[in-house]
Amino acid sequence: MKGLLRTDWIGLLVLVLAGGAALAAARPEFLTAYNIDVILVSFCLTVVYALGQGVMIAIGHMNLALGATGCLVAVAFGGVLEVWHLPLALAIGFGLLLGVACGFVNGWLTYRTGLTSFIITLATLSIFKGAALGITQAQPFYGIPAAVKAFGSDRWGPLPEMLLVALPIVIVIAVFFGRMVVGRQLLAYGGNPHAAELSGIPASRVVILAHTLSGVLAAVAGMLSVARLQNATPSIGDEWLIASFAAPVIGGAVLTGGHLPVIGTCLGVLVVALINQALVMLAVDPFYVQVLLGLLILGAVGLNRLREVRLGTAPAVRLS
Amino acid sequence: MMRARDWLAAAFAATLLAAPALAKEVKVALVPGGPHPYFANWEQGGKDAMRDFGLAAADYKVPAKWELGLQNQLIENFAAQGYNAFLIFPGDPVGTNGPMQDLASSGIPSIATAGCTKDPTPALFCFGTDVGHSAYLGTKELIKTMGGKGTIVHFTGNLVDPNTELRMKAVQQAVDESHGAIKLLQTIADIDRTPQEADEKINALLAARGKEIDGIITTAWLPSVSAATALRRIGDKRIKMVGIDHDQVVLAAIKDGFVHGTMLQNPYGQAYIGSYVMEEIVGHGCKVNPNAPFKKNAYTTRFIDSGTAFLGADGVAHYQDAMKKVTQDLMKTFKATYLTCP
Amino acid sequence: MAVTVANARRARLPAALGGALRSNVAGLVIGIAVFTLAFALYTSGFTSRINIYSLSRSIGINGVVGLAMMAVLVTGGLNLALGAIGVCSAMVVGWALQALGLGVAPALLLGLIAGAALGAINGLIVVTTRLHSFVVTLATMSIFFGGMVLLSGAQGFNALPPGLTGFGRMRLFGMISPLLIVLLIVGFALFYLYRFTALGREMLAAGANPVAAKLAGLPVERLFVLCHALSGALGAVAGVLASLRNGAIVPSMAGPLGSDWLLPAFLIPVLGGTLLTGGEVSVLGTVLGAVFVEVMTSGLYMLQIGEFWIQTALGLVLLGAILLERARAGMALARGRQS
Repeated sequence: MKGLLRTDWIGLLVLVLAGGAALAAARPEFLTAYNIDVILVSFCLTVVYALGQGVMIAIGHMNLALGATGCLVAVAFGGVLEVWHLPLALAIGFGLLLGVACGFVNGWLTYRTGLTSFIITLATLSIFKGAALGITQAQPFYGIPAAVKAFGSDRWGPLPEMLLVALPIVIVIAVFFGRMVVGRQLLAYGGNPHAAELSGIPASRVVILAHTLSGVLAAVAGMLSVARLQNATPSIGDEWLIASFAAPVIGGAVLTGGHLPVIGTCLGVLVVALINQALVMLAVDPFYVQVLLGLLILGAVGLNRLREVRLGTAPAVRLS
Repeated sequence: MMRARDWLAAAFAATLLAAPALAKEVKVALVPGGPHPYFANWEQGGKDAMRDFGLAAADYKVPAKWELGLQNQLIENFAAQGYNAFLIFPGDPVGTNGPMQDLASSGIPSIATAGCTKDPTPALFCFGTDVGHSAYLGTKELIKTMGGKGTIVHFTGNLVDPNTELRMKAVQQAVDESHGAIKLLQTIADIDRTPQEADEKINALLAARGKEIDGIITTAWLPSVSAATALRRIGDKRIKMVGIDHDQVVLAAIKDGFVHGTMLQNPYGQAYIGSYVMEEIVGHGCKVNPNAPFKKNAYTTRFIDSGTAFLGADGVAHYQDAMKKVTQDLMKTFKATYLTCP
Repeated sequence: MAVTVANARRARLPAALGGALRSNVAGLVIGIAVFTLAFALYTSGFTSRINIYSLSRSIGINGVVGLAMMAVLVTGGLNLALGAIGVCSAMVVGWALQALGLGVAPALLLGLIAGAALGAINGLIVVTTRLHSFVVTLATMSIFFGGMVLLSGAQGFNALPPGLTGFGRMRLFGMISPLLIVLLIVGFALFYLYRFTALGREMLAAGANPVAAKLAGLPVERLFVLCHALSGALGAVAGVLASLRNGAIVPSMAGPLGSDWLLPAFLIPVLGGTLLTGGEVSVLGTVLGAVFVEVMTSGLYMLQIGEFWIQTALGLVLLGAILLERARAGMALARGRQS
């Protein structure tokens, strides 16, 4: 029993399965290929940027500019395709590089100033978002190549092609933090920055690397959004912020750092996607989503806390 | 509270006596609620009006975000920059009366454009699509192409948008008039802010209940785009759809037969005619005729329809002409109908 | 050597001047003066009555928003639900005025109580669960706002009594909004609280080091709940002030979930020298921070660099201000260590 309790995602898995079963019982259409595809598409888009926030949470930082980075990359990606007619591979490379640059700037500024990432990314949020709006003058780029559009639409039965990007990313992140030395160092720094530095882990590398990784994931999510929406519009990323925190937190992440529950985050994304689906299928007032989402976050972190207390792993004093 | 009443009185007087008879330099600011593709044609409408009527300026000024506080602050800022006439899309039907009142107390007139402010309002009048009428006509077109019976769904805009409620009522009315032959399965609102949300909700509904659905009416920009994309994705052309506005995606879907048609609105004409009215009022001392044949809607008793037109597959290539024609027709009688000039 | 000489010279400066230089206040005053002068010279209309009136109003509103966040930054926590609380409380005022038919004073009082109560809920959840206030208020911002929309049907209140709307439109000396006066009153009250009362000093001590404060016998939990309640009450004030500008109480006034307030709420106190780690506040700095941000915003719009690039420019300016401030604080710290 204690072993199961230690696995932080088992409760969520039960929740997802039970919720899915209940929805399927209420509406048989729930299990059609098209419907599963819709849920998985939402999963693909959300899990990438949720992990982008998860990486930050792992080192005890946060990236408020996540959506703005995704937005800037999305419109730049659409722009170079439409205006400069860049080949697709180059455009993707350009988008990724831009994500790297945005993340690097966040990380470098955070490290060099020693200010909290909260305030730095609040400022860069404004800068990136403004740039995206300035470039587009708030009008979408429509000239997206057919190949990109197809990638966002095509599916094999219930499986969207976008899984080809999302799944490898999930696996890479899981391996990176679970098996690789650098990933371990990031978590160690997140758990206790001071101790990590004393044991020879360079803070500069950890902070800049994590922010850059977050920027890249935001960039990927931005370009996936372009593929899905079939155009590059500067409102991409506007609604990422709450969801990006909700999924890792529901999945068991602690904001003080040291831990990145990859499977938990995936399940957290699925829980939110299922709730949204249920509300549409059962024709519920959209504002219940807000209340439910809030209660869910509170419930999830509350449960986590309870488990920590039971296992005696809760820190003695953490008031703020 | 003598003071408050004084201000109101002064504001009222200022609105009526907007300008002296002498021609005065007119600088119009066109302020939408935030960045949205719908307003893109305002810019051209303003520029053309500037050229045609000799305005000193008719500038399109977009708040960078959909934020009532920001829009209100911007309006004050533009007034300080010397703009002396405003076409404003109300960020909120009630909350935009505040800045309009401030303008009025400095003697600056404003027109609620593309959406209405709620009475009592300092706006000269409300000039926009009769969205209820447009939604009603669109639903009628949809029902016709569905052969008069079946089940439809309605995708519409944000609940805080002054127009959304009017649209929902109009669709319901068209459905009611079918005496049970048409069933409105579900309305999804609040999906005109980000395309991702629209895409997710619309696909979720089509996936879950698509088999029951025979027709889609959309009455907001982003839902139209998302629904058109979704129908192209499904590809079997069984579900009929009537959209709204002229996004490239929607027009292409009409041309290829995935969408039956779209209800054009007239943002170009709103800006063009609105700027012209300001030139007449501020520059030449005209007044709004209080006895003009205004229409009524749920928000105001001073509403002027900026026109609407159904666009099917045959008209797609020349849709801009359709919009310009609506504008020209309105222009012919506008001054005589709605203004009294010295 | 040079450093020592500079230090020696600095030591001779009057203590008060040294204190001002070490805080953000001097930097902000200089920044405000320089930019005001520049905008006055290079734009038309910056010093017009209508713009000064508009500025005084925005400073009043955003200044209170900044102070409301500051009240909870004291604890080393934060309050993402601030905007949601502001809108909810304003809606309570509207409901009390229009549905209950209460007078202006009791309605405002009810709004204040609602704000304080919602803030206290945040505080209670934070201290009982010991979760980070970021997660707690992220959740409650959804819950409060969603609950308000469900209860109100997203319908605002527009028939405010003329006394209230008249106050919102008043122009003192033809160009100053009374909303600015409200900010000054709130500012003085907070200054008095943190500087001269035992409660305020206990709040600061608890925020600076909760563990030590607890050991010293302070009721840290209760103080933190009070800080959150204070933040909520100030959020209610800001909500009412914003409604006065709009001339109506509408659920959309602070954007989706009240999130439009977050940028000013954090930037203003941080520019003013309030620490995010808790235990240190600067009321004067926060008020000046509001002036700086609003002067910059207004001036940048006047410069007509294109609406969409304003956000970028503003972000850059604010980042620059934070970095400069950081450099100055770093130098002051280094000097302090040396001497």
